[in-house]
Amino acid sequence: MVSPPVKWGLRVLAVGYVFFLVAWPLALLVRQTFGNGLGNLVDALGDEQVTGALQLTAMIAFWAVVINLVFGVTISILLVRYEFPGKRVLSALIDLPLSVSPVVVGLALVLAYNGRNGLVGPELEARGVQVIFDSPGMIMATCFVALPLVIREVVPVLVEVGDDQEQAARSLGANAPQTFWRITLPSIKWGVVYGVVLSLARSVGEFGAVKIVSGNITGRTQTATLVVEQKYQNFQQETAYATSFLLILVSIACLLVVAFLRPKHDS
Amino acid sequence: MTSTPVLERPASPEGRRPRRVRRTTPRSTLTRGAGLGLGIAMLWFSILVLLPLSAVVAAAAEGGWGRYLSVLQNDQTWAAVTLTVSQAVLVTLVNVVVGTVIAWVLVRDRFWGKRALDVVIDVPFALPTIVAGLVLLSLYGPNSPLGLHWAFTPNAVTLALAFVTLPFIVRTVQPVLEELETDVEEAAASLGAKRSTIFRRIILPSLVPAITAGAALSFARAISEYGSLVLLSGNKPYETEVVSVRVLTFIENGNTASAAALASVMLAIALVVIVLLDVLQRRVSRRG
Amino acid sequence: MSIEVSGLTKKFGDFVALDDVSVSLPTGQLTALLGPSGGGKSTLLRIIAGLDTADSGTVSIEGVDATGLPAQKRNVGFVFQHYAVFKHMTVAKNVAFGLEIRKRPKAEIAHRVEELLELVHLSQFSHRLPSQLSGGQRQRMALARALAVEPSVLLLDEPFGALDAKVRKELRDWLRRLHDEVHVTTVFVTHDQEEALEVADEIVVINEGRVEQVGSPDQLYDEPANDFVMGFLGEVTTLGGVVLRPHDIEVALQPGLAGAVRGTVTRVLRVGFEVRVTVRTGDGDPTAVSAQASPETTVVLTRTHARQLGLDAGTQVWLTPASGATTVSSMAPAGRRAAVTSGV
Repeated sequence: MVSPPVKWGLRVLAVGYVFFLVAWPLALLVRQTFGNGLGNLVDALGDEQVTGALQLTAMIAFWAVVINLVFGVTISILLVRYEFPGKRVLSALIDLPLSVSPVVVGLALVLAYNGRNGLVGPELEARGVQVIFDSPGMIMATCFVALPLVIREVVPVLVEVGDDQEQAARSLGANAPQTFWRITLPSIKWGVVYGVVLSLARSVGEFGAVKIVSGNITGRTQTATLVVEQKYQNFQQETAYATSFLLILVSIACLLVVAFLRPKHDS
Repeated sequence: MTSTPVLERPASPEGRRPRRVRRTTPRSTLTRGAGLGLGIAMLWFSILVLLPLSAVVAAAAEGGWGRYLSVLQNDQTWAAVTLTVSQAVLVTLVNVVVGTVIAWVLVRDRFWGKRALDVVIDVPFALPTIVAGLVLLSLYGPNSPLGLHWAFTPNAVTLALAFVTLPFIVRTVQPVLEELETDVEEAAASLGAKRSTIFRRIILPSLVPAITAGAALSFARAISEYGSLVLLSGNKPYETEVVSVRVLTFIENGNTASAAALASVMLAIALVVIVLLDVLQRRVSRRG
Repeated sequence: MSIEVSGLTKKFGDFVALDDVSVSLPTGQLTALLGPSGGGKSTLLRIIAGLDTADSGTVSIEGVDATGLPAQKRNVGFVFQHYAVFKHMTVAKNVAFGLEIRKRPKAEIAHRVEELLELVHLSQFSHRLPSQLSGGQRQRMALARALAVEPSVLLLDEPFGALDAKVRKELRDWLRRLHDEVHVTTVFVTHDQEEALEVADEIVVINEGRVEQVGSPDQLYDEPANDFVMGFLGEVTTLGGVVLRPHDIEVALQPGLAGAVRGTVTRVLRVGFEVRVTVRTGDGDPTAVSAQASPETTVVLTRTHARQLGLDAGTQVWLTPASGATTVSSMAPAGRRAAVTSGV
């Protein structure tokens, strides 16, 4: 349909744009990480500040993904299989975190939950629950920014499989939990997996919201992304590169999982 | 049972073949278990999203309209707002063109390495934003092999925003283009339409909702970006400081009232984008 | 009575899907719910199964009031038009599902599944996934799955609607034979009158949310309650103010019988062993432009008979209803007489 020169022009534009914006810079960073062999990586992994932050990131990402998984699957089923007043508003609000600045997310959580003058923070603190400058707040911030990802993957799959199988299960005597575990969940399995993988990537990489909520306390509430910033600004660039490289590995692994699983199961 | 299937299986308008059932009275089909699930989910959604966002609006409203005016009239803040909006518009326009081209290339073109291109498109989405800044510094920073020293200049803001918003239009246009049958284009060609006419009259109109939806997402992401700019732009007032950084500065200086005022303006813009998206998504895709 | 439905009404917005429907379906029989698309028959079936709820009215199954019972407690087998197979389970697992839900012993389940797959001729496919089966095989599997739980009634919603004509015909015969073996009370929905006439012991004709007539295939065919039922069960034509079947008209070349209607043959169409003759029975000029205004009657003859009469366009004929022909006055309004309840 398109003449060869135009076709080549478009191809070069697309590949060139992505090459200069993403691929080349990414390759350069990886090369800088290995500028002196494995040294940077070994040094970074020997730095307690880095390993502590990586552990904290893993813990926060884990809980955020678990919470978003349960919440996301529940909301998806409610949105697709049931009618209730306010459904359309809820469906739109779910996407809100996609377009709210991480800085605003952090500010919002601080204003609501800080122990000094937050909306409900002082009451919580009086009961011994500290949200801000501690892991609950960091998990919440991470949950907030990754909130719609599971839902955006699962909703289309639920629509696609339809409710015939669930009705058949009910007519065969299965109750609601049996229908969910034996029929619904297996049929939306891949949508759930993609949603989890995307949430994981987003959760591991969250920066702005966590920076505000955590207080960025070295060795206590500092996550891997916060370490990257600090190390880079403290002129420990090799450590920053090495830590970044580890984070890049996680995100590329997530992307590859999605890229190689999806086509097989879409049809 | 094909002529009026709606009447036969009305309980599942979102079934295999989605169709609209116009109900005169919106009603609830929640069972007791589903109602409980909705209750718990809404409680969590309120704790996580609604309550904190209301706290922002409440804090901002305390100062009345006067506070909004004084915050926005501050020269430095106003400079940040104009920079952010103009860069977001610029980047969105670039994405509208380049994103659509990339989507077209991914769907219609065939060449070695296309699969890799497809995966690389998602990298900005999966990469931590702080790392994105670092990645861009390696090619456009002080040690640039191209000799480009764009760090700490407005160009750095453009770069960072273009990087993080790259996937949006590509990923909304791609599926629509995939469903667009080539035989429609061939039919148009057989009726004597020129290539440019086919693009303008056949392809483009079907892509417009998807492009608009992607552009809205891209714009929303661009005006709210923070992480990728931290290391790259230098946050120089009047020059490379964006709204998110300005909000953070207010927070760090303990000026939460001004932070909340500026944040609530950003929230309002986000809400507008969400409403626009909701309207568009109902046209582009199927969503319950 | 196995299923008693009384006073069921169901509306979707402004649309009335079921309008005060009462019907009794006898135990052990194979009953067809027959009617045009959108007439409410699938809705009725789904309400019996508990998959939809009625706005008012009651349903009782085997003497137990089931109106408020959820689907999983009604012990009905339901077969869906689009099979609703569990895609991620093997054929054997699909059939075993209801038994596993009921926590039957493993050995019993295995035995029962084997028996049922034998019954539906799918034994050699037990370890395959449904995606590896043809449409007809999937529907047989769905039937075995529904039968596995020994339901008190078996409900089939357009079970063969998604299959091609040949498979449809095979499965239809097979369902009849299966029912003769298993004897479970069975209700199936269809819009295909041939399917209903061929398979069912009893037919309930439903149109626009109401029951038009209930009866055996012969009763419905020979004594239709109104012209809707008559028209839905087979081809009809009008002759002198009555509705009757085209093959129930006698054609003569001379005015002999009393009450014969004179007409002119306008068209002769040979279809296989039949000859379809269109006769204009009005008095109008045969060459008039407004030919459609004058009444036309369609007559179906055998090829031999038509040849004996030597019919051709322009031939003058005299038409009379054959003796013993089923006729309904065409003046009667379609359908709106009292809904007939089964007398069985």
